Amino acid sequence: MVTGPVIRLLLPVAGVAVFFALSWATVFVFQPRDPKRFFLGYALLLLLATALTYRALWPLDRIEDALGLACDLLLQLLACLTMWNAFYSVLWGFSGSLIYDLFNEPGLCHRDRLIRSYEGDGDLDRILARRLPNLVRGGWVDRHDRTLRLRPKGVVMAVGTLASFKVFSLGMGGGVK
Amino acid sequence: MLLRLVLAVLTLFALQAALVALISAVRRRGSVYVTIVIVAFASAPLAVFADRLLFGRPLQPDGRLFLALTHLALGGFLFHFMTLPDRSVTLRILVELLLAPDRALSLGDLTARYGVRTMIGSRLAQLQDGRCLTIAADGAIALLPRGRSFGRAVTAGRRMFRITSAN
Repeated sequence: MVTGPVIRLLLPVAGVAVFFALSWATVFVFQPRDPKRFFLGYALLLLLATALTYRALWPLDRIEDALGLACDLLLQLLACLTMWNAFYSVLWGFSGSLIYDLFNEPGLCHRDRLIRSYEGDGDLDRILARRLPNLVRGGWVDRHDRTLRLRPKGVVMAVGTLASFKVFSLGMGGGVK
Repeated sequence: MLLRLVLAVLTLFALQAALVALISAVRRRGSVYVTIVIVAFASAPLAVFADRLLFGRPLQPDGRLFLALTHLALGGFLFHFMTLPDRSVTLRILVELLLAPDRALSLGDLTARYGVRTMIGSRLAQLQDGRCLTIAADGAIALLPRGRSFGRAVTAGRRMFRITSAN
């Protein structure tokens, strides 16, 4: 049985590789409407697999063994979260989208034209049109005609966010400096 | 053993969060992400030498290695957590509604407080600060080499995941 501490760190590496392969295959082949449900499911299953494998290879006899397991699980979860966050923030997010538009559509390389392309001609701009239906569907916000009202679930989230703004001196967040 | 371990992990996370909050309060113009990275790496040796305090006895070398990596991973979680309030458009919308009278806003009022012009103006300024692009006085935008690399990476990533529609 291999007992070197570094060998134990290969488990999360394997877990993360499988997470990436499964996530990529799911999004590429099935194009799910809400990929994060799949990401969450894969991450939890792979954490379980890592925990079981670790315990089978290295029984938790000492506190160092338990710490090794915690370390493996945290590193694996962090790497999965990093991939997940990169997928949403960089490939799907706002700054990534801006750069994508500027890189692929030279006609948008002007501030006013870029802003107009996001404002669009409809009732809602491109940013709100993506988010408001999800906020309403998720029960965070009520929408009546052109008025939005925060629901209790939204109040809890907003209070927590506001507390984070204050505690970590983030200003008003939302990507605005 | 499990309880002690959970308490140790929570203590390390709370310690880093408290240090980041304190430093951010003093350095209000600094990047909170840089602060998190510096705090995680600078405090990792402290965490390792706090083994007796955290576990009641000195750890073996392998335990110290795992403790240092655990500490750094917790810094990584704090980094990810921070992107939520700091970057999320959705959370900012909820906060604007919370701060509005009767916790309600018309779409027009919401857009006036936090609209596309504000968002894009600020993101472009950040991309300019990050040397990804330049913006001329007449509004013309030119991608710099770093911006073109970023654009190529996003384009390749979207192709790889077959993302055809995003923000």
